[in-house]
Amino acid sequence: MRRWVWRVLLAVGFLAIGVWVWTLVFPSPERVIRKRLTELAKAATVSGNESQLAALLNSQKVAGFFTGDIEINLDVPGNSQQVLNGRDELAQQAMVLRSAVGSMRVEFYDIIVTVAPDKSTAEANLTLVARPAGRDKIVLELKFRLNKAEGEWRIYRLETVKTLSLL
Amino acid sequence: MASDVENAPSPSWVQTVLIGRNPKRTAVRIVILVAMCLLVFNRFVLVPIRVEGLSMMPTYHDHRINFVNRVVYHFHKPQRGDVVAIRTSGISIMYMKRVIGLPGETVAFQGGRALIDGEILNEPYIKCRCDWELPPRQLGPDEYFLVGDNRSMPASDHTMGVASMARIVGKVLL
Repeated sequence: MRRWVWRVLLAVGFLAIGVWVWTLVFPSPERVIRKRLTELAKAATVSGNESQLAALLNSQKVAGFFTGDIEINLDVPGNSQQVLNGRDELAQQAMVLRSAVGSMRVEFYDIIVTVAPDKSTAEANLTLVARPAGRDKIVLELKFRLNKAEGEWRIYRLETVKTLSLL
Repeated sequence: MASDVENAPSPSWVQTVLIGRNPKRTAVRIVILVAMCLLVFNRFVLVPIRVEGLSMMPTYHDHRINFVNRVVYHFHKPQRGDVVAIRTSGISIMYMKRVIGLPGETVAFQGGRALIDGEILNEPYIKCRCDWELPPRQLGPDEYFLVGDNRSMPASDHTMGVASMARIVGKVLL
């Protein structure tokens, strides 16, 4: 092969590595939010035999992903509508849930992030799948609203999206 | 080198047509082509799915493998009785439901029977009757009413309702 072809290939390779390193060092807001939501799913997962202290710490960790004035409006099929206001109430409910379920795997699928032009607010749509031990899995389509404060993206509103609506 | 090529027996035209002049390159091309076809086919034509849950019993059992035909509704609109896949925020998790109400129709449940524009809908796929009650609801020009075949469960535990065409990914194949 001619020498110039190798040079072009080498240049393209270096460029690709450069872009990859750049995205690692300076990730886009979409990527940061996606990573943060994945961390939230991990924190919300309840492992079996969780002690009271671990449950308390993990509930606080979950609450840390939300702003102090968080508004949560969840409509879980087969349950009444859950409305939570504020991080403290969320942490309490998370603690109650962790104690009640025993173990539960939480996963987020198809996270679609839309960042506002001002780059300080964003919206994320995703599908939550929760698998509590010994019970049917729960599937919920959720909409998160986030804002960026002090360099961190936090959730200030969370609501259920009705995939199939009866209203 | 040139003399080697000249002395080597030239491949027959049948071999050239079937596997090309260089079999190794042809094999690599075939592998790449097959991989790309599978990728495109699985994502945009026939999406493989695994049924989870009881809402489509007894027509579809838990853990059964199936496919969603994503192309079919480019040619015609969903018909009553079609079993379709409905996307959530993406297509990793989808609901599988049956179309019972079409755009513009009024759908209701009375004494466990589905009513379309006030008339009882014949549903031969229903094996267990229910006592569901749902007030009449008129569908918009782009809306479909979707429900599962398992009517033995309480209506509050059964995910059903209205979805726009944009939510319908395709028709369940088998």
